[in-house]
Amino acid sequence: MLDERRRSRALSSGAFRFALLLSGLFASGSALLLWTVQHQINHYATEATNALLRNESAALAGEYRTEGVGALVDAIAQRKAAPGGPFEYLVLDRAGRRLAGDLPMSASMAGWRTGFVQDPGGQPEEARFLGVTLPQGGLLVVATDAFDIRRMRDRLEAFTLASGVLISLAALIGGGLAGRLFVARLDRINRSIDLIMAGGSAERLPAIGVGPEFDDLVHNLNRMLDRNVAAMEGLRQVSTAIAHDLRTPLSRLKQHLEGMRNPAQRQPVAIDQAVDQIDDVLHTFQALLRIGMLEGGVGRQRFSSVDLAEVMERVCQAYEPVAEDQGFRLTVDHVDHAMVTGDRDLLTQLFSNLIENVLTHTPPGTLIASSLTVSDGVAVAVIADDGPGIDEEDREHVFERFYRADGARATPGAGLGLSLVAAIAELHGGQCRLLPTMRGVAVEMKLPIAGSAEST
Amino acid sequence: MKILLLEDDESTSAHIVRTLNAAGHTVDTCTNGQDALFLAGSGTHTVLIFDRMVKGVDGLSTLKALRVMGVRTPALFLTAMDGVMDRVEGLEAGGDDYLIKPFATVELLARVNALARRAPIAEVNHVLRVADLELDRMRRAVCRAGRRVELQPQEYKLLEFLMLHAGQMVTRAMLLESVWSFHFDPGTNIIESHMSRLRGKVDRGFDQELIQTVRGVGYRLDA
Repeated sequence: MLDERRRSRALSSGAFRFALLLSGLFASGSALLLWTVQHQINHYATEATNALLRNESAALAGEYRTEGVGALVDAIAQRKAAPGGPFEYLVLDRAGRRLAGDLPMSASMAGWRTGFVQDPGGQPEEARFLGVTLPQGGLLVVATDAFDIRRMRDRLEAFTLASGVLISLAALIGGGLAGRLFVARLDRINRSIDLIMAGGSAERLPAIGVGPEFDDLVHNLNRMLDRNVAAMEGLRQVSTAIAHDLRTPLSRLKQHLEGMRNPAQRQPVAIDQAVDQIDDVLHTFQALLRIGMLEGGVGRQRFSSVDLAEVMERVCQAYEPVAEDQGFRLTVDHVDHAMVTGDRDLLTQLFSNLIENVLTHTPPGTLIASSLTVSDGVAVAVIADDGPGIDEEDREHVFERFYRADGARATPGAGLGLSLVAAIAELHGGQCRLLPTMRGVAVEMKLPIAGSAEST
Repeated sequence: MKILLLEDDESTSAHIVRTLNAAGHTVDTCTNGQDALFLAGSGTHTVLIFDRMVKGVDGLSTLKALRVMGVRTPALFLTAMDGVMDRVEGLEAGGDDYLIKPFATVELLARVNALARRAPIAEVNHVLRVADLELDRMRRAVCRAGRRVELQPQEYKLLEFLMLHAGQMVTRAMLLESVWSFHFDPGTNIIESHMSRLRGKVDRGFDQELIQTVRGVGYRLDA
């Protein structure tokens, strides 16, 4: 049953149809070839026969002209006596009486003609006739059979037919086999896809193995699956993180509001606190939305020429008094100009987040160093600190959404600041990474200088 | 003053109307762009508050049409569309300010007041005065009670903004936007540190404190 189905699917498969089409094309091609070759051979053979007949009749007519009718008859008798001569003859006198030759009287006609003669076995045989009027009014007819031509034609026909049929058959069988092969291989792929759709996220497509192009396809599909699985996993982690992170402020808020059922607790301070908690939640949502939009590439349409030096200068100036008030030291070492292509507001937020990050996660007294250099057409911005640094196992995760190092659990924030930094950097085609440092943390962001691609 | 509100969400609309009424303003409301176009075309409103996403003709197109018609009434977009691009689009369409939902009512009031008091550019006096505080915008010089006060560039910008909105409440977000181009809310209270330095130079040692803190919202410069 299954075999039956597979066979019918093999017959309707693309490979088989292709083979069918090819064999059809081949059959019509060989038919055309056969016809052309036959036509050409026919033409050539007829010409050759005609030339033979013309020469022979000219020779005999010459004999007649110089030596007379007796010589002609002798010459014919001589030729007939030699075995295997290709010609048959007929000589008539002026009154139409046969003087020599074996051809039937029906052949007595002047000019070219195609007709039949008896072969030695008594079978009619196709032949070519040439009748020449003799000077004194007699008629000389020379004929030769077309046997060789026909035999050649027949053989050619048989050969072409046989090979045409064989090749078409081979193409059909090959097509059917290839169809079966593909159907079987694709069945394996389809089974894998069924498994994946049924939730087997670890399942991957098997190699088709017919040619490198198919394996490339499968490889790429598998890569796509890997990416999707990773994205799904990320999404799951983020949703869990959102649920987890929002539960705390929301339950606190609920307690607050329940407490306010009691008029004695309905203090402006309590209301302010509740509003602050809602603000925290909204803040988290806004940051998430922003990251999502940036990762989707939204915002690139608004890119224009931005001076990174101006952006960093402005951010540093904004934070200078804050850092001072909180006991931090902020040093600035920027080049004068670094024109990049980007969004001024987003880049502002990027550096603001980096500095906020240091202010939040390091103790007072920490040095914050902002530097901006340009080399080889790339602007390199580094925000470094000499704080306690990040544990080795946390380093690779710091740019992930909601990731908070264990030591940072107690500090405020949702773990989105650096994800936003990474998303903004990526939107700008830049790279963001942690530099290896002896102490503290150094985040480096590289952006290509606008217009440098053309000059280098 | 008379304000036109374009907002198709009933509860949001009612909330805004209550807030504005409580502050002593009259509010006309409408829920679609066509009505807003008609009402605002009368030119009798002091400020327009437009939601961007409303049924039918949206707020953005409505304002564009009004600007083409020559209506110059200051307009504030009040919207949940918080992308940088959205804001730029809003301002390019002829909006004067942009406030993102969810918003604090005080923030809305402060911004509406700021828009209403916005003086036409030609009439700007290059010397701003509040009590005995003077700011000369041409010379970028500040004097208090006749004595020169030396300010850092950012402190100067901060004071200039406060003086341009003298007597009005100015929120932290407004200051962040106008002085530092921060169109987001940084976690740290940046303004506080700058403000304390500014106060130290402008108010300390004088009888009257001109810069007042409005708790939880922002600041007001008033005599």
